[in-house]
Amino acid sequence: MRVALFVTCLADHYFAAAAADAVRLLRHLGCEVAFPADQTCCGQPAYNAGRLGEARRMAEHTLEVFAGAPGDPGDPAAPDAPTAAEAVVLPSGSCATMVKKFYPRLLAGGADTSGSVALANRTSAAAALADRTFDLAEFIVHRLGVTELGSGLAGRKVAVHQGCHALRELRLETEPAVLLEGAGAEVVSWEAQEECCGFGGLFSVKMSAVSAAMADRKLDTLPEVDWVVSGDGGCVLHLDGRNRARGTGIEFVHLATALWRGVAGGARAAEGSDVAATHAAAARPLEVP
Amino acid sequence: MHTRIGDYASRSREIIRGDLGVREAVTGATIAFDQKRLQGYAEVDADAWRRWAEGVKSHTLTHLDRYLTEAEARLEANGTEVHWAADAAEAREVVMSLAARHSVKSVVKGKSMVTEEIDLNPALEAAGIEVYETDLGEYILQLLGEEPSHILGPAIHKSLQQVQQLFADHLGSEPGGDPDTLARAARRVLRDAFIQSDMGITGGNFLVAETGTVALIENEGNIRLTTSLPRVHVAVVGIEKLVPCMADLAGFLQLTARAATGQPIGCFVSLVQGPAAHPDDDGPEEVHVVLVDNGRTNVLAHEHAWEALRCLRCGACLNACPVYRQTGGHAYGYVYSGPIGSVLDPGLLGLHEAMPLPFASSLCGACEDACPVRIPIPEMLLEWRREAQEEGLTPWKERAALKALASVATRPGLYRAAGRIGSRLGATGVARALPMLGEWAAERALPTPSGRTFRELWREGIE
Amino acid sequence: MSAGARERIMARVARATASRPGVPHPGALVTLPAEDAVDAFVKRFTISGGEVARADPERPPGEWLTGFLRGLEPQVMGVAVGPDVPPELRPGLPAVAAAHAGAGISMAWSAAADTGSLVLPSTGTRAVQLLPPVHVVWVPAARVFARLEDALRELEAELPAALGLHSGPSKSADIGRTVVTGVHGPGRCIAAFS
Repeated sequence: MRVALFVTCLADHYFAAAAADAVRLLRHLGCEVAFPADQTCCGQPAYNAGRLGEARRMAEHTLEVFAGAPGDPGDPAAPDAPTAAEAVVLPSGSCATMVKKFYPRLLAGGADTSGSVALANRTSAAAALADRTFDLAEFIVHRLGVTELGSGLAGRKVAVHQGCHALRELRLETEPAVLLEGAGAEVVSWEAQEECCGFGGLFSVKMSAVSAAMADRKLDTLPEVDWVVSGDGGCVLHLDGRNRARGTGIEFVHLATALWRGVAGGARAAEGSDVAATHAAAARPLEVP
Repeated sequence: MHTRIGDYASRSREIIRGDLGVREAVTGATIAFDQKRLQGYAEVDADAWRRWAEGVKSHTLTHLDRYLTEAEARLEANGTEVHWAADAAEAREVVMSLAARHSVKSVVKGKSMVTEEIDLNPALEAAGIEVYETDLGEYILQLLGEEPSHILGPAIHKSLQQVQQLFADHLGSEPGGDPDTLARAARRVLRDAFIQSDMGITGGNFLVAETGTVALIENEGNIRLTTSLPRVHVAVVGIEKLVPCMADLAGFLQLTARAATGQPIGCFVSLVQGPAAHPDDDGPEEVHVVLVDNGRTNVLAHEHAWEALRCLRCGACLNACPVYRQTGGHAYGYVYSGPIGSVLDPGLLGLHEAMPLPFASSLCGACEDACPVRIPIPEMLLEWRREAQEEGLTPWKERAALKALASVATRPGLYRAAGRIGSRLGATGVARALPMLGEWAAERALPTPSGRTFRELWREGIE
Repeated sequence: MSAGARERIMARVARATASRPGVPHPGALVTLPAEDAVDAFVKRFTISGGEVARADPERPPGEWLTGFLRGLEPQVMGVAVGPDVPPELRPGLPAVAAAHAGAGISMAWSAAADTGSLVLPSTGTRAVQLLPPVHVVWVPAARVFARLEDALRELEAELPAALGLHSGPSKSADIGRTVVTGVHGPGRCIAAFS
């Protein structure tokens, strides 16, 4: 199956190695992966802040990139990839939700801002893109029908933090845990499992104290585990930032990396991942700019 | 009512950093409530019930003039006097003139959010009338001079130790008494108040149009006493509380209780049709219903927010809300707090007055899942945020940052260049480039960029 | 002032709803009635902290009730009895004012199984229903409805000034999240079947 990766801005810059693991994982599962080079940010920060004009412009840009609109330079490795891709996969539940659930809503309203996608067309384009867009775990379980990945995580105890959008908008309640177990891990239940970690994008900056208190609730209730695994980079930046500020010493691993380790059996994948490495090495005092 | 909404961010920080145990008490209580709600929902076809309730409430609200007219006629036929109040001042005036008419010296009150909203107690007290809040939680707060922090459990932010101290100071109860002993001490005071008071004041959970019934739900029995023993009963009811008929009420009584506490119904429900008419009836000689607008028609007129008027005041969204759990209701600065407050208050008070409540949410969606009338709270929050942006009610730095993001994100070349630079800056470099991260860094370690972007790894080839 | 307020509010309501399409009423809430209503009532009422007593069929019910009340802890000395309690269901104990009675004795108009509720009219006197620490309510078994909706609909035509639905003892968890009973209303609520 031909898949276009929408890496998301956060993964592009903060979880590059995890995104690379997502590519490895998808290829391992028989997918041909394309990376449309003009992709940027899905626009969720603006959408959640209520700046719908800006959000719409970013959404329209994304529609063009992934719908393979005229003028798309495509990708050197697979020039015709975007148009031919059967699915768009994101290593982020929140951004996947933005495309799947919020684009159709966002693009149905408001004036035509860019002029490049006609108002009438962009509603149907949004619906079409929503239909073939998937969160990584959702894609593997529901589109590929795969739940058994290997045994590379045997002996690992992990807890799952599922982002709220994936959980309550996409209703991906069990998929990450199913895949982790399918890679040999023991998934431990967590009292605050389904509670919001307090990231919420702009919320973490605007209501910083409440946001941090929410992270504390998650960290304080965490059972004894080797890793906390999450498919949402934003949540991890926030939870791990709090973790490092408090010196709690919890190791966070992106779901893509965890699953790829499950497939590859540990040894090979370990060097390819910078998430655990970065964050484990980063148990240093709080830096204030 | 005087609001302190504008200080939400600083007050929430004070509550979290303060050592009053508020966060522990509120988190514990709301999680317990929330789990009971889940059990209460699990015993019935909750999805179907919630869709039904959403339908009945939306039906009533889109035909509100008809149901108000019907209710008024029926209440009057029952011998109940109907009053209308467009705002808080008018509502207070109605109650004060009734108190004057009956030379009321003492009032017992059932827990009512709308009487908090109209600031009734200070007005009564200023007229020299003794006011007794009779709900145990409200009574505790009245002794403390505090406002309720939760729709259902107004004093959930107080620990047992705090109540022990309070009752020892005010009621002379023994220090360290157990909850049973403390409740008995309050009961003694309040039992006398019930018997000697001339007027009982309550809110109303529902007003049945077809029968002119004011329905009140509770567990303690204080509302039944308030509506039964004094000579005059005044029910202050928001105009959105209507339901068409008794059959609808039967459903709502159950759903409200299940959403609030997981119970199949409140231990006591009072269904008040009018003043006592039968010689055997020992109830009030007069019943008054005050129908209050106070901003509700503004909410009703709003294209999106009108759906918030379906609210049953069950508190389920507060209990489910991880934001509310950190601070309790006082941080919000108005009588309606938590998720429902954040969407209702901008409509009731005006968006400017209610800032920054639409932003006091991580948009996690737990509230919408809990809501018995399926109010789309996250969507509504976004709508208020959109209006706040349009009206220029958000900080200019934030607006500028998001404009800049959109400019960069719609120019792939620029985006790639900025990303390459950003990834090499290191954590503090990024923070310097994005000043908004200062708030972030006050609570958390800064995130460290990958060093090289994914797209660079892609170019080199991923093995 | 009041009349003016009414017109202003009604005008605002009409304006606010004028351009919004009316939402149709969804009809009745569909719930499955229990097959044995009395049995279902007993279960539900008991779960909510209510108690159920059955009169000894070998004895006149009033006499049974006398014995039952004497056996309670603390023993009931004086009772307040609702005016609508038929003579054969009244206990042979001294009548006292409700505020001083050890128990109030009422007659339910009906009961609802799905919520475990006793339907009490205000003419049974509210003082009897609310002031004593123990409330014993005679329930006619034939008038236990499977659903609250059915019980309320049946009453629609002849509603008294007020109805009380009692579904268990008075309780509160407002102090330290510990449940205490008998806060304001009766701490024991006993449904009696003859």
